[in-house]
Amino acid sequence: MDGPRVTMDVRHIGETAAVVDIKGDVTAACEPVLMSAYEQAGGLAASRLVLNFGGLEYMNSGGIGMLVTLLVRANRHRQQLAAYGLTDHYREIFELTRLDEAITIFEDEASALASTGTAR
Amino acid sequence: MTSLTQPARPPGRRLAAFAVASEPGNERLALDQVAAAVASSGLTPARLERLKTAVAEATMNAIEHGNLGQPDVPVDVEVIQDGADIIVAITDLGGEHQPAGPAEEPDLALKLDGVQRARGWGLFLIRNMVDGMQVRTDGQRHTVELTMRSEGDQT
Repeated sequence: MDGPRVTMDVRHIGETAAVVDIKGDVTAACEPVLMSAYEQAGGLAASRLVLNFGGLEYMNSGGIGMLVTLLVRANRHRQQLAAYGLTDHYREIFELTRLDEAITIFEDEASALASTGTAR
Repeated sequence: MTSLTQPARPPGRRLAAFAVASEPGNERLALDQVAAAVASSGLTPARLERLKTAVAEATMNAIEHGNLGQPDVPVDVEVIQDGADIIVAITDLGGEHQPAGPAEEPDLALKLDGVQRARGWGLFLIRNMVDGMQVRTDGQRHTVELTMRSEGDQT
């Protein structure tokens, strides 16, 4: 199988928040894609990054490790990470790994953005 | 987890048997074929998703740590139904070795503090996704056997 099977498109919401629309597989192979999306989202200028997992097809332990790496970077710069669109299965994995304690999970994009006053 | 030495194969009815090449990403092929094989076995959708995740992680371990990513060395996958039990046996040719993963339980707080590495969730996921896991070795054949009950306490 070839390279990462994922796209991560960035939408800017206001000046300090961005949504990353994830479509495909989240594995260790897509770390460059995620880090590129992080930079497109504003890098250190973005105070809140919302991950849209609505298009997620598959995530493995390597992908979870990659999210931990993103979390380390975000925590270092006091940035908030949020997520929505997770299926029940991946929500369970977030709970099992306790990622849900570090990445706040919301039902939808509106609530994810509203929680910080960046709703459109 | 137990480590056995006899070349035991689980009894029951074989639902599928196939091999995948030891190439990154081929765990997707394994989980898709296992999912197709157990489609009529009575697993609830939630438990099927759990089994698929465990199969993917065990296959990744077999590819990376058993067969050392050598594409010409296959990972064998066998799916058995034994009564209410679905058993998936995943075999590499790496001989006796421990399943990949840290000795300690992964801890997100320690990972965020840099005490543990960011990766190392695979074995943890397997253990928490299925009802049983056994490891056995017969010469070079190293098998991880995953068991998921299709009846009883289902979520």
